[in-house]
Amino acid sequence: MAHVSIPMYWRTIPQRYKMIGQKCKNCGSVNFPPKGMCKYCGVSKDFESVNLSGKGTVHTFVLIGAGGAPPEFVEQEKAGGSYPVAIVALEEGPKIIGQIADVDPKQVSIGMRVATELRKVYNEEGVIRYGFKFVPDEEDR
Amino acid sequence: MSSVPVASDKITRFALASTSAPYIEKLLSGTVTTNLGVPSKAFVSDHTTSSRAGTEAIITAVEHVKACPTGCAVVAAADAPKASMWSPLEHGLGAGAAGFVVSNENLIAEVEGHSSCAYEHFGERFRPDDDDLIHDLEVRKFAQSSLIGATTEAVSTLMSEIGASPDSYRSVVIQQPDARAPAAIARKLGAGEELLASGSVVAEVGDLGAASVPVGLAAALDASKVDDRILAVSYGSGAASDAISLRVVADRKSAPSVRSEIDRKEYIDYIQYLKLKGAIR
Repeated sequence: MAHVSIPMYWRTIPQRYKMIGQKCKNCGSVNFPPKGMCKYCGVSKDFESVNLSGKGTVHTFVLIGAGGAPPEFVEQEKAGGSYPVAIVALEEGPKIIGQIADVDPKQVSIGMRVATELRKVYNEEGVIRYGFKFVPDEEDR
Repeated sequence: MSSVPVASDKITRFALASTSAPYIEKLLSGTVTTNLGVPSKAFVSDHTTSSRAGTEAIITAVEHVKACPTGCAVVAAADAPKASMWSPLEHGLGAGAAGFVVSNENLIAEVEGHSSCAYEHFGERFRPDDDDLIHDLEVRKFAQSSLIGATTEAVSTLMSEIGASPDSYRSVVIQQPDARAPAAIARKLGAGEELLASGSVVAEVGDLGAASVPVGLAAALDASKVDDRILAVSYGSGAASDAISLRVVADRKSAPSVRSEIDRKEYIDYIQYLKLKGAIR
């Protein structure tokens, strides 16, 4: 992940804190994060906001460790060791990237059901950046 | 919020309590209310300088609903106090959180009254503005006198205001910096130690600071039956105490229980704990 400026991060709070996506009024597909033009039908700019469930399944994942964390996650890796980052297929369709927390990295598997929770993601310039992380789905525990 | 029949957009008041807030200056509630979908016109407050902050937040919610009977308040107490690993305070510290909805609808318990006691005292637990660790000068007797003095005074004021006595309670929840403090206070109040059992969480989760009484109260509510009375008593150094009397009016079924949350655990060793806390690298 690259540096994200504070105003840029602030503008994405609806997605990061509340999983607000957009439903295309032309083809019905859900875009997340929001786009200028629907990435599925490629013709519509007409959307309605939808609150996504935040639930989905692990499509694929990687473990970040052995000093491989990007600068903003170095502190996290030092404290907690290697951590999983996954591409998750949300129930509503979109595939998105996020960390999986509250799990033994060895227990992560493709197809695993996850839900999102608001977590501290990293700290930059003394400002805590909050956002979603995935956790194993409560209902499966 | 998924366990209570309250829509986030109906919330008119939000109060957040913690002694270990990540910022000294910057609204803390806003992070939570934005996530929950609480309307931005709701009045919010952060309660941060005392382990009594949890009951402080509950009382502001109760007063809000008293003044505005159609209002709906949400209280969240979340804490993870930090001390130096060289301090004797440190090994007893824990982390936990509890949330309550305070309104006139769908009651599980009603608040019969609350009283407080506050005065100047010092030398016990404190955290200077340039430090993220709590300190204790370990003047035991002196600290103990304030702990006992403030809590018993808050309770006796409440008892005379509502015409009750400690033995009319089914459970008593007292600030739990350790297991000894609530036992000592209960003895002074003339409340049998068996009344502490249902709201006692310190043995499993440690000192929860501002979340100590809220989590204990949630545990006591889990174990209570209709018509039981619960007395909740907080204490924070400096010094202040709040006492709140509740009467249970309905069984609470939908929510996950404090015990089941405590049972869902994984043990880690002390070194790993210190790493996660950021105390060592």
